[in-house]
Amino acid sequence: MFSTVLSGTVYGIEGNLIQVEVDLSSGLPCFVMVGSLSGEVKESGERVRVALKNMGIHLPPMHVAVNLSPADLRKEGTGFDLPIAIGVLTAMEKIPLRSAEGMLVLGELGLNGEIRPVKGVLPIATGAFKGGVRKCIVPKENAKEASIAGLRAAGVLHLKQVIDYLKLPEKERDAELPPKMADLNWPFKEPSQKSFYKVDFSEIVGQEGVKRAALIAAAGFHHLLIKGPPGGGKTMIAKRIPTILPDLSLEENLEVSSIYSIAGKLPKGSCLLKERPFLSPHHTITPQALSGGGKIPRPGIISLAHRGVLFLDELPEFKRQTIDLLRQPLEERVIQIDRSGGSFTFPADMMLVGAMNPCPCGYYPDRGRCRCTPFEIHNYLSHISGPILDRIDLCVDAPRVEIGQLREGQKGESSKSMRKKVIIARNRQQERYQGTPIRFNSELTAGEMEQYCGLGEKEKEILEKLFASFHLSVRAYHKLLRVARTIADLEESKQVLAKHLQEAACYQIRDFI
Amino acid sequence: MAESKAYQYWMHNLPGIGDRTIEKLLKAYGSAGEVYFAGEESLKKVIREDKARKIKDFSGNWALEERYEELLRRKITFYSLEDAAYPERLRRLSHPPYALYCLGSLPKEGGPGVAVIGARECSEYGRYMAQAFAGEMAGAGISIVSGMARGIDGIGQRAALESGGKTYAVLGSGVDVIYPLSNRRLYHEIIDRGGGILSVFPPGTEPKKQNFPERNRIVAGLSDALLVVEARIKSGTWITVDMALEQGKNVYAVPGRLTDRLSDGCNLLIRQGAGIALSPKDIMAELTVLANRKGEEGKKNKNKEEKGEASYYNSLRSFLDFYPASVDEIWEKMRKAGKDIEITDLLHKLVELCMEGEAKQVGSTYFVKQGKNDAL
Repeated sequence: MFSTVLSGTVYGIEGNLIQVEVDLSSGLPCFVMVGSLSGEVKESGERVRVALKNMGIHLPPMHVAVNLSPADLRKEGTGFDLPIAIGVLTAMEKIPLRSAEGMLVLGELGLNGEIRPVKGVLPIATGAFKGGVRKCIVPKENAKEASIAGLRAAGVLHLKQVIDYLKLPEKERDAELPPKMADLNWPFKEPSQKSFYKVDFSEIVGQEGVKRAALIAAAGFHHLLIKGPPGGGKTMIAKRIPTILPDLSLEENLEVSSIYSIAGKLPKGSCLLKERPFLSPHHTITPQALSGGGKIPRPGIISLAHRGVLFLDELPEFKRQTIDLLRQPLEERVIQIDRSGGSFTFPADMMLVGAMNPCPCGYYPDRGRCRCTPFEIHNYLSHISGPILDRIDLCVDAPRVEIGQLREGQKGESSKSMRKKVIIARNRQQERYQGTPIRFNSELTAGEMEQYCGLGEKEKEILEKLFASFHLSVRAYHKLLRVARTIADLEESKQVLAKHLQEAACYQIRDFI
Repeated sequence: MAESKAYQYWMHNLPGIGDRTIEKLLKAYGSAGEVYFAGEESLKKVIREDKARKIKDFSGNWALEERYEELLRRKITFYSLEDAAYPERLRRLSHPPYALYCLGSLPKEGGPGVAVIGARECSEYGRYMAQAFAGEMAGAGISIVSGMARGIDGIGQRAALESGGKTYAVLGSGVDVIYPLSNRRLYHEIIDRGGGILSVFPPGTEPKKQNFPERNRIVAGLSDALLVVEARIKSGTWITVDMALEQGKNVYAVPGRLTDRLSDGCNLLIRQGAGIALSPKDIMAELTVLANRKGEEGKKNKNKEEKGEASYYNSLRSFLDFYPASVDEIWEKMRKAGKDIEITDLLHKLVELCMEGEAKQVGSTYFVKQGKNDAL
């Protein structure tokens, strides 16, 4: 007997449909699996055999052949256990033929027949939906995830449950196992006043200068560099930047959640992320872990930070090679990884927030404590390669906070009120860049600057003066204008005015001290 | 004349022969020329045998005249203790250096000179003080002597040049070796503006650690008074101070806050009896080159009650200091003074002050006071 079941696998970040074909024929009894399989997929045959045995179903002494088609696509993951088991059962005529037709099947089997959750359900289900599939059987824990993609998802816990379910005629199935169906608005139903973040900007007392810079960075999606001595609250501030970014839109959310699904990092019991990602890798991270890698690459840290914040603490301590990897994502907002298995493009549209000490000892410009030579200080900054610094529009100092200041106890501005300002600025940008590929001020190129940041005569004069008195370089020119544009948006000003330019000048990275 | 200098140059380059040995040789032979022609046996009577042998070995490879001509071609002037042009101030030292190399010119004999020295890693306060003191003294015709090091030394000398005065740099390396390299523009400008680069070490000498105490002695020796701008308790500056005291020179120190490690040295000096440099005039008075005091009376502050914007700027000015203050600190002070201001307004006003040259941004968002030397 011959049977086919529909399943799927992730390739890069896209879900692909896979036909699982099972055939029983007379011959030497054995279990053969073909179709460009990775280790964990090959083992699946053994799991299926034992699970069936433990349920009292013995494989007949026949030649069992399993093919996963298309046969040239590399298959990974443990999700093929369940479709193979169903295929075998159908071929053995334990389940009526075509009972699983048109259904996407995913799930890992335990030796006792238990069905366990798998990774990458969201992208596979999305791919299946595009391929015309509308129903699926998935592990119960993954049911919500599959339903988000638009499928009617039957969540199952045990192989026995699946057999009973498939034996039923189509009409009675829903009564047996009510399918999960997504209400696509549910993640957003909760009153938006209530923040899902555990942290808030109001917890930060003082550091108004840095908070202001964070606000500007969030409003224009600029990359930000925070310098300051240890214990100044650089990390605290960075952690709170996602809280002032606008909530993820549904489209963005599906994108981000897909990536997390592939990495197996979706929070338990939920299928969509509510928060914007905040990733803070340690400085010993390898280039592969940052960019993503593997024979069939998995998304790395920069892709996990997609639409969120990538926070690199102690920026100069990262290996230069690792930091240089960021050049492509910062430029094109995607990362391309080429492996023998093919070329993969992962999204990587993140906001880079770097933190560093101002000098090797950390206390500059407090010369009472800092004894670093100007050369050392300059050298410390030059650990970060120029092209990366070029992309960072804002640079700000987080001074040391004295204990006395902390005791004053007044609360800072809350994330909620800061987010309101960010949204206003974002809306202004959206309006202005309608019909162009530009989304944020940080994406303005030199050519577009003239059109969107037109300066009056007085402002041009001020700009010239600024350059002379602040010794700014030419490359600082465009950064300054971009930041000034965002400040103007925050102040709801149509024109970029002198005071915006002046404030923007504060945030420029100095080439030397 | 030129010929005798060639011998002197030869003698100063002898390996293993220091100023002490040269003194001994001169006592015995009278001049460098005599030493050059003395036989090995004769030399052995004056100095140790191995040294005498070394001298003979070395002389064989030393092209006497070419070497000296090369020196002249490179515009390096060579003065030895035997020359009349050798600076009188150095001659008066207990052990004057035998030779002095010079690019540019020597300080004028009898003209007043003040050494401005201090820490290499200086604070903004030190920077400002060095500029203020050196600038005003140089403008009044005092030559500024220093070591052209990073920090106070170089800043003082740069200020001296900018106020149109003359400055002399004594190096711990050969005069043709620029150290530190970051001061190369200063190095060339000192020569171009009529000052001089001096050294007691032969051209080509690398800046070795052991050279610097001697360098410091010469700095002290070439000046009439010593001004310490900023120094830690343990620092090279103390060598210069000790040398100056040994030579009977007056030492002045710029006072600083007790909490500043960089002012500890100066404050300690003051306790030990150094002059307190409250204004450049304190030092100039000693050197009897009082600056033109005209117009000083009219400088009184005429601050009246101002309203609105101007009052903001005025309180901003008053909150700026020579110690870097972060935007947050300034903001806090403004609020305490009852001047409520948005942080964004504060930032652009600060930048405006920077553009006017009244403030300066250090680090990324720290600000210090800057400007005309009316603080002193």
